Parts: sequence; structure tokens; C-alpha cells
Amino acid sequence: MAPEFGPLPEGPLLKLLPSDSKDRGTQRCRLGPAALRALGAHLGSAVKISLPDGGSCLCTAWPRRDGADGFVQLDPQCVTPEATVGFRGSLSLSRLLVVPCPPLRRLTVWPVLREPAGAPGAPNPAAVLEAAQELLRNRPVSLGHVVTAPPGAPGPVAALRIVGGTPSPEVAGLVTPRTRIGFSVEPPSEAESQSEVLLGGLSEAADSLRELLRLPLRYPRALAALGLAVPRGVLLVGPPGVGKTQLVRTVAREAGAELLAVGGPALQGTRPGETEENVRRVFQRAQELASRGPSLLFLDELDALCPRRGSAHRAPESRTVAQMLTLLDGINGDREVVVVGATNRPDALDPALRRPGRFDREIVIGTPTVEQRKAILQVVTSKMPISSRVDLGLLAEMTIGYVGADLTALCREAAMHALLHSEKIQEKPIIDETDFLEAFKKIQPSSFRSVIGLMDIKPIDWEEIGGLEDVKLKLKQSIEWPLKFPWEFVRMGLTQPKGVLLYGPPGCAKTTLVRALATSCRCSFVSVSGADLFSPFVGDSEKALSQVFRQARANTPAIVFLDEIDSILGARSISKTGCDVQERVISVLLNELDGVGLKTIERRGSKSTQQGKYKELKQNEAVFFREVFNRSVMIVAATNRPDTLDDALLRPGRLDKVIYIPPPDIKGRLSILKVCTKTMPVGPDVSLEKLAAETCFFSGADLRNLCKEAALLALQENGLEATTVEEEHFLKSLETIKPSLSQKDLTLYENLFKKGFSNLEDI
Amino acid sequence: MTPDRPLLAVQEALRKCFPVVEEQQGLWQSAVRDCQPLLASLGSLAEQLQAAHSLRWEELPALRAFPDLKERLRRKQLAAGDAVLDQLGEKLATLLKVRDTVSRQVERVFQIYEQHADIVGIDVVLQPSAVSPSVADMLEWLQDIERHYRSSYLKRKYLLSSIQWGDLANIQALPKAWDRISKDEHQDLVRDILLNVSFFLEE
Repeated sequence: MAPEFGPLPEGPLLKLLPSDSKDRGTQRCRLGPAALRALGAHLGSAVKISLPDGGSCLCTAWPRRDGADGFVQLDPQCVTPEATVGFRGSLSLSRLLVVPCPPLRRLTVWPVLREPAGAPGAPNPAAVLEAAQELLRNRPVSLGHVVTAPPGAPGPVAALRIVGGTPSPEVAGLVTPRTRIGFSVEPPSEAESQSEVLLGGLSEAADSLRELLRLPLRYPRALAALGLAVPRGVLLVGPPGVGKTQLVRTVAREAGAELLAVGGPALQGTRPGETEENVRRVFQRAQELASRGPSLLFLDELDALCPRRGSAHRAPESRTVAQMLTLLDGINGDREVVVVGATNRPDALDPALRRPGRFDREIVIGTPTVEQRKAILQVVTSKMPISSRVDLGLLAEMTIGYVGADLTALCREAAMHALLHSEKIQEKPIIDETDFLEAFKKIQPSSFRSVIGLMDIKPIDWEEIGGLEDVKLKLKQSIEWPLKFPWEFVRMGLTQPKGVLLYGPPGCAKTTLVRALATSCRCSFVSVSGADLFSPFVGDSEKALSQVFRQARANTPAIVFLDEIDSILGARSISKTGCDVQERVISVLLNELDGVGLKTIERRGSKSTQQGKYKELKQNEAVFFREVFNRSVMIVAATNRPDTLDDALLRPGRLDKVIYIPPPDIKGRLSILKVCTKTMPVGPDVSLEKLAAETCFFSGADLRNLCKEAALLALQENGLEATTVEEEHFLKSLETIKPSLSQKDLTLYENLFKKGFSNLEDI
Repeated sequence: MTPDRPLLAVQEALRKCFPVVEEQQGLWQSAVRDCQPLLASLGSLAEQLQAAHSLRWEELPALRAFPDLKERLRRKQLAAGDAVLDQLGEKLATLLKVRDTVSRQVERVFQIYEQHADIVGIDVVLQPSAVSPSVADMLEWLQDIERHYRSSYLKRKYLLSSIQWGDLANIQALPKAWDRISKDEHQDLVRDILLNVSFFLEE
């Protein structure tokens, strides 16, 4: 017969198929007759199969019902923990080995219990033993393997891990009805660490949690001597998708703690008192788990379960809150279980929850900074086949405002793109930069998705705006340069400007300039108008404006564009009768531009970097430096009537850069005409210089109108077959179109901010 | 030794085993069937207990003359319930005996096979003939039958051991649950297998 030890030379390939449903739980492995012959197996002999993805599986050999060779069907009931039996691909015959399977006299196992659905309380050992005996009866087992109970089977045992036996089932051993089964006292050491999901960028929060879990285990006597009660509650605060649940899972797994995760809304019940009962039950279960080893109770979406008490209509919720408060720190004394709560809205929580003894520590996890994003990307792409040219640092810089969930989605989209668009359909396509760039188009940052005023801007280049060279330079200096060259600014002692006001006569390319600015700086761009802000409800406009700024701050660097700002805000003056809204909106804007500080829930990065001075930042890397420097939001405002604006807005420190956009001079008009007529078939005799000279006081919009009129005239005269626009068309349209600006307007604008101090001599 | 004699020995063992299985199957079916009315009576007892519990005894003037009526009624009901439970226990014991008998028989057949396995060889056991299925098939069916009885017994035992007088709703749902166990498992497994080997047995 074939040898039983040592691998055979590469045998024939057997295709791996999923097992029949009626074979489930039988631990059978179906082979064709040739394979059985080659292995030298007889019916029911134990066969050890080393799986291609790692791990091994122990089965009994049985013939296939159809007698076909070249296929194998496995029932993975007894496998090593890291084995993943994916039913694809093929096994070579050399991976199967008939092993001797002597009957065992004794066997030690570690049971993995099912969570009892109805009756709580640990199942009694006798019942567990009986279930284990029944599960293992007449099965071959092997050391280190896990025998899982078939899905329909009742009983408290979900799986059994084989820890030891006599004679030791190193290779295999048969459990007979006479084998004595016992439970091992301590859980088997997890020598193989399962694929650790590392956390990118959450190391501080993770340390905090880890400490809470491990301290009582490692130093119980020291703590007792100090008379300390270890803190047992942590509240995680942060926007959705930032990694709160992931953090808790990872820390629990690392510390070897049992995790009991419950969603806040899942505990709600319909009958009065049912919610409280559910909460009590959960805590009781957690307490039981805690008596066996370190354990963690995770309450997700806590603000749904425990809102503020006090209003008359919320009596049911108040009872739940009261129950929660007593469970966390009530008369029943110290609890041993660590409770972690997660929420997006900490202010909606009842304040009584946020005190030491209940949720002792509060960890704010904000939108990740560049460093954190890079770390997250590194973690997410560690398992993906990325080409070496992909620069994760660059990606981290481009992904402004993305949270952990967004970055995961981004990598997933890139992988999908690579899979679908790879030239040959290989097993493992390589993901490179183009895939990521394509994925960028599809994934928007979640904190930015619901922003009021998110616009699709048609991109426009600086060159497409005629003239206004010095204005363009000023804009670039104020806004683009601080983004691109932060260290130069700091070296000169400059800070980033908060706001820019563009004013000038109407039709002079103010809005177009802002479009060009948005196109050239790659930052988040939000444009807010009166329609977005004003609402019939009192307080809504302020909230909307405040929200816009908050979301912009989460996605810095960001530009907030307030077009026609004079209609959104007026000036605060006593003589105005109505329009209280405008006053309030002004006050909100003033506060956002130059307020005392940021709300704590908007904190990003670690607390220490928040309070660092710029000098310390020089020691860090350039990218991080830039991120910190560009922490604030920049405001660009455009208006035709700057005199109606509130003075407080225009002081330095707020909209400090005031740029006048003049109507174009002759050179400017020439370049505007050139831009406008670029797409028009202009006749050879048309002299744009002459036109420019004749169009005094024309604004950019007027000139564009002029060109359009000339083209229409051409169409009109020559019928619809007109091909070129001649000089005469331009001259004719010049007669009809008059300039929209007048000398009076222009002097008004130009003298606006040139007020002298002549009237202050008395001071 | 030619492969014939050991093969004959295995076939002989199989021929002895299947009739025993047939007999035990009859016992099993009747026991399961008999449990059904018992469970129904348990259900109605539970209903009565429930009704008695929710009755407001103080408000009935006619019964004020019998102060301990509630207690006595409850005791009687529980006693009746216990009697039913005893009968159920007997039925369960029958099922247990069936299971153990089948297990023993199957074990014996496999032992005989193990003894002769090397000599018989693999090809012969895979070979079906006109009047008998292959030995491999028959051994597999025996294993399936044994597993069927074991798992069925386990499920029924868990169901019956979950009876608690504190949880009356559970008791009222018992007949349905019992039926569901029968429905979920392959009911005709044993019968089909016995049909398959009928020619073999007649030889």
C-alpha cells in the first residue's frame, strides 16, 4: 500500500468542490476511487488535508457517490483556526495524507459557548460536558484543531478546541464512546495572532482604552494598596466614520477581552419598561462575562438611548437614562466591566452621564489630520497589491476632509477599478495611481457631502480672464501662496489671511476671479448665498451659517465664498426697522472669523499639537507643518456695494484684504476682447485695438455682450450661412450698446476706502 | 485468503443489522407519535394555569367561602402536569433505547469492517451489483441512520428539558415545536434506506 508518512511527489490535481448539504456535519471527504486507491485509504480512515491557504483539515475518507475521479469535496468540521476553506481552486493529491488514528483514552478540550438566547446565566458544566461528548462522538480529532457544531444543532456548545489528550492526538486520534472528555482550566494561548486590524492614527485613543483594560489585571495589588477605584467608563466622541467602533474592537481583541457590543437603538422596546429591562439584561450579561475575564461593554449611538432628561414629552427616555445611571454607578457598588460609549452628539447626552464614576474619560476623535490619514492609508493598503509608484503621502494630502471610512471606500474603489480595467484578467491586478485618481472622482468625503452650498464649479484658468493682472497677483498672494509656501510665510512672521473682500462695479469679473481661484487652489470650496441661509424659522440662518463654517473647518484648507455679501448682511444700525436676522447673521460671521476658539468636539489631531507654537513646528515635517498652518478657513466675499457693509467686518483680522476690481483699462479691454472672440470666426479686417479704444467705460460683461451682439447681427444679415463677423457688425452693435458704468460710479468706488483722517485731529 | 470470505463476513453483518434497524424504526415512530397527545394535554394544562393565575379571585363573592381554593387548584394542576411529564419521560427513555440499540449495531458492523478492511481492499467495496448496493454505500447509510437518530434524540431531549412551569407560553408552543423537529429532519431517511437495501436483504 502507499506509504503513510511523508508527502507523495506532486500528485494529480483534484478540483475542490463544496460539499453536499447532507454531508454537513459528517466530517467526510469525498474522493474518487483512484484517489482512494492511491492514498491506500479504506472507508472511514482519517485523512489530513493541508489546505492551500494555510491550516489543515481532518476528515474521514469516503467514496464519491458518482464515482468520478479528479474531484474532492470536504466537510470542514474539524479545521485549524486559521484555515479558510474557500471552495475554489484545486488540491494536489500530495496534500492529502492518511494518518493513523488510534482511539483516545482521554481528551482535554476548551469549549466555546454559544450565547444563550433566552435564559441568561452560565450553562451548567454537566450540560456542556454532555453536549461536548455528543459532538465529539466517533470523530477523529487532532491537536490544535477546532470542531464546530453543525449549524442546526441545539445545545450550549458552539465549538470545541482540542487542547490535549492521551495518547496525544498530535496527528490524529479517534474519540470513542469510552473516551473521557474533560475541560481545560485556562483558555489555550492564542499563539497565532489572527490578522490584526491595526489602527491608523488612533494610537492615543487606543492607548487610553488599553490602559483602562489592562491596569486592573496587571497591577491589582498596587491599585488596592492605593485605594483606587480604576476608571471604568470611556466616552468616544467624533463624527461618523472616524473609527470609534473599530477602535473598540481592536483594543478588545488585543487585550484578550470579551467584547459585548450593543447598539443603543437595539435596546429600545415597545412596552413601558421594556427598554430598562433590556438595559438591565445587557449589564447583567456583561457582569457575568466580567467575572470570567476582562470584558468590555460597548454601547453604540449612546445619544439615542440616553438623551437629556427634563422635557415633559420624553418621560420614557428619562426612565432609561435613570436606569443607565444607576447601573453605571448606583447603589450596587463597583462594577467590574468597562463600559465604552460612542456618540456623534455629546451635547445631546444627559450631563449626569458625563461625570467620573460613569464615563470618566472622554476621548474626542476628530477628522484625521494629514499624518493620521497617511497612517490610515498605510493600514488599509497593507493587504492590497499597490504598485511602488503610489505615494501614500501625496494621497494623504489630497484627501482633505476624508475620515477613515471614506479612505477605506476610496481604496476599495481603486481596487475595483484596477480589477475591472486590468488588461489581462489576472489573479492579482496591481493597483496604481490612475486607479486612485479614478476613485477620487467617485468618493466624496462624508463630512462634506451634506454641506450647504456645495457647488460644481466649471473650471476656469487664470489666463481666460483678460487683464486684471495685478488683481490676480494680489489674489494669488493672499490665498494661493500661504497654501503652497507656508514656511516662507512663517519665516517672515506672516499669518494666513482670514478673509478677502472683492468689490467693484458690477460685471467686472469678480465671481469669475473666484472661480479661477477655486480651480487653481485645490481646496474644499463652498459657496453660500442668501437662499441657503435665510429661513422663516428664528435661529435657522445662524445655525446654517455656523454649520457651513464647522463643516469647512473639518475639511481645511477650505474657501468659503459669500457672493453678494451686502444682501446677506447689511450693517448693524439702530435705524433699521426689520431685518433682525441680518444682525444676527453678521454676529455669527464675525464670531466665526475671529472668535475665541474652536469647540472641543471639533478638535482634530492630538491635543498636544493644538497648543504648540509655530516655533515647535519647524522641527516637524513640511507636510504636517502645512497642515497645522492652514488650519483655518478662508473667506472670500464679493460685493457691488461695499459701503453698506458693517465696519466691524472690514477691520484687519477679519476681511482684511480688500481688493478693488476696476473696470478694464484699454489694455484690459483688449485682452477681454481677445478672449471673447477666441471662439468666434472674426473677419481679417476687424481691429480689436480700435474697438478697445472706443469702448471706454465698458465693463467686461459689456464687452462680452458687444461681441455676442455683433455675432448675432452677422447671422441676421447674411442669413444663417454667415461665416465671419466683420468690422461693420461690431461698429453697428457699438451704436446700440451703451456702457453700464459711468464716471460718477467709478469715482464713488475709487474713493471708498480712501477716507482721510482729517476729521480726527481733535483726538 | 481470498477476498471473498471477509467480504461475505461484512455482508453477513450488514444483513443482520438492517432488520434490527427496521424494528427500531417502528418503535421510534410510535414513541414520537405518542408524545403528541401528551404535549397537547400539557399545553392545555398550561393554559388552565395561565387562566387561573390571571383570575382575580378576590372579586368573586361566591368563592369567598373557599379561601384556599386558588392554592388547591394550582396544586392539582401542577400534579396533573407532573403526571404528564412522567409519561413523557418514559417515551423519551424509549427513544433513548432505540438510539442506543442502533448505535451498538452500527458499531458492531463497523468493527467487522475494520477487521477485514485491509484484506478486502477498496475496489471491491465500491462495487455495486445488480441486487445489492455497494458495501461502501451501505456503510455510509448506516452512519447516516445513526447520526439521524442521535441528532433527533438530542433535539427532542433539549426541547423537553426546556419545560418549566414558570414559562407557560413556551409550554403552549410545545406541540408545534415537536412537529417542527420532525419536519426539519429528513423524515423518510430511514424508510428510503431500507427500501434501497430490500433486495439485498432478501438474498
